[in-house]
Amino acid sequence: MTTDDRIQLLADACALPCVENLLGKVTACDLSAWIAAELGKVSALDAFRPHGPLHSKAIAPGNILHIVSGNTPHAAIQSIIRGLLLGSHNIIKLPSTGLSGLTGCIDRFPVDLQTLIETHDSLTDELLAKSDAIIAIGSDASIEAIHQRTLPHQIFIPHGHKVSMGIVYGDFENAARLAARDVSLYNQQGCLSLHAVYVHGDSLAFSGLLAGEMEKFTVENPQHGLSLSEAGAIRNLRETTRFRAANDPTTGLYESQQSLDWTVIHEPSPALTLSCLNRCVYVKPLPEKINPDTLGPESRHLSTIAIHPFGQDRAASLTHLPAHRICPLGQSQQPSLFWHHDGFAPLASLVKWKDLG
Amino acid sequence: MSHPLSIEHDLHSAMAGGGLGDGAFNALALRVFKHQFDNNTAYQNHCKALGVAPENLTHWHEIPAVTTDAFKFVECPLVTFPIGQTQKTFLTSGTTSELKGCHHFPSLDLYDRSITASWQELALPRPENSIFLTPEPGHAPHSSLSHMMGVLSDTHSRKSIWAVDASGRLDMESITAAVTGNRPVALLGTALAYLHLFEQLTHPLTLPPGSWAMETGGYKGTMRQLEKGDLYRMFTNKLGLAPDSIINEYSMTELSSQFYTRGLAHPHTGPSWTRVRVINPFTETDALAGEPGHLVIYDLANLHSVMAIRTQDLASRSGADLADGRNAFTLLGRDPSALPRGCSRAADHQLRPS
Repeated sequence: MTTDDRIQLLADACALPCVENLLGKVTACDLSAWIAAELGKVSALDAFRPHGPLHSKAIAPGNILHIVSGNTPHAAIQSIIRGLLLGSHNIIKLPSTGLSGLTGCIDRFPVDLQTLIETHDSLTDELLAKSDAIIAIGSDASIEAIHQRTLPHQIFIPHGHKVSMGIVYGDFENAARLAARDVSLYNQQGCLSLHAVYVHGDSLAFSGLLAGEMEKFTVENPQHGLSLSEAGAIRNLRETTRFRAANDPTTGLYESQQSLDWTVIHEPSPALTLSCLNRCVYVKPLPEKINPDTLGPESRHLSTIAIHPFGQDRAASLTHLPAHRICPLGQSQQPSLFWHHDGFAPLASLVKWKDLG
Repeated sequence: MSHPLSIEHDLHSAMAGGGLGDGAFNALALRVFKHQFDNNTAYQNHCKALGVAPENLTHWHEIPAVTTDAFKFVECPLVTFPIGQTQKTFLTSGTTSELKGCHHFPSLDLYDRSITASWQELALPRPENSIFLTPEPGHAPHSSLSHMMGVLSDTHSRKSIWAVDASGRLDMESITAAVTGNRPVALLGTALAYLHLFEQLTHPLTLPPGSWAMETGGYKGTMRQLEKGDLYRMFTNKLGLAPDSIINEYSMTELSSQFYTRGLAHPHTGPSWTRVRVINPFTETDALAGEPGHLVIYDLANLHSVMAIRTQDLASRSGADLADGRNAFTLLGRDPSALPRGCSRAADHQLRPS
């Protein structure tokens, strides 16, 4: 199968609702442009091309092992599409909790792509040994445990613990609507979900606006399927905040009534605080100096900063922070096909090259 | 208004009395609540925000609980006395970057009495010849667990060995030497300390007949996970102790009383100056018998802070617990949602070897 053949098949797969809902619209042209952007030419995997005084060809890994986590199929689908585009055989180690959203989706892929995919429930030494590249998505502890089982010749790409945040500089009404979407989509289960929104200006007023938009989003996209554990975590967070708010006028609690659907917490501390997930978000005043010191230790896990209003100069002014992606608010959950996931070029990081000359 | 000394005196009497019935518990709980509402500013603010005041309560169920996390805010300490009069502060464990919960005391008289009176009321064996697998209190001045072990040692033990040194290392020589006699020994320590002990034993120890163990605490802050049944099997294999010779203690820094169970299939029971509820977090009402929920503990010995504590521990109650033992519950473990969360951390899976 040539790269063009795979692109056509993948375009069909990307048109499936289960993929399009996660990745947005992805066409054959997009896939061609993506591979060309990362590897120089669309045909880089098919033939030797001039490369300075040499002729070079990209070599995809024979087998890619994708170790995926159970919180969201989003990252898993992205990872598998990358492997399929390169023409590798894709071995998927499913989480112990299963990932029906992923397996159900793969079952609808074109047959020629399905032959390039196999799924497994457990991570055996045999699977690890036959993998040329290993992409691990999970907690830092899991990634470390997997890394210890890899061999020096294997490409290892870790996607560990990550969180995202928003920054609002103005236009509060639109910003609240966009932030509510970025917070609520996928119930904050993914790396691109906002845990906190920093606000330049009246952050308490913004909290109220965000609460209203969280409610509107919930009406259209009901929250369901909370476990007892998750419900307990939300309740604990709310009651702790209620205690703080009773003792500190700068702390505010906004919550859905008669339900655990959403929670907005205003707190003055600039430290990036992890949410307990499931549509619970912190709003904080934007510190005068925003840097890893003011954001605290969680900032080293930043994946994405979503800002509003977006501007290239404003985005560039935040590049001293550890996040690898700064995007418009409202789009944190839909990264471009071209994004460098955790700083990695997703296709270029997987291939090796052969040179002639 | 009840004078604090009068309430404290009545609590001491109740602890000496061998059992506090429902009516007496309720009356004393309402007095403790009023004392805390009147004198604990941070708690009073919380109650007022909820629209709760002593004059509109008739039952201890209605007393507002605070979360264990509420003990972490230094700017609003949960105390019924001037903070400058603090004689002792216990801190929760945790990493250096984490906020630690602080439980302050103007004196430990009631706290210590609760430990010894519980032991008596619940008919627990006297640890006369003890090996403590915790640092001694002087080496861990902010550990409520080490303090409790010290109280047990001072009260019951003719001979005590503190087998964890200041750097946290187990003194294997002392342990093996201490079990060679024929007097029964009592081993008391954390589950994690026992795991370290079992890993360091080159061969099983044979304890004298009549020996027993008390274990407490989980594996918080470590990568270790072990089912209780697996841990107790290790007790049997490494120390020759049957499950019924093992007592589990459940408590926390934010409480002043402890709950105990023996073996594998029995609920935890607390002393008569405690009550518990298991709350369904969806409805905030009591969970039905047998259904899991979050544990809320009412501990009258927490006189100097807040008596009603909402934990993040999951528990259930049987019909028998609800009918008879109002302070009995089956612990289901630490709520996984209480752990730090984030992408992937949220639903992490254990790697299963082939």
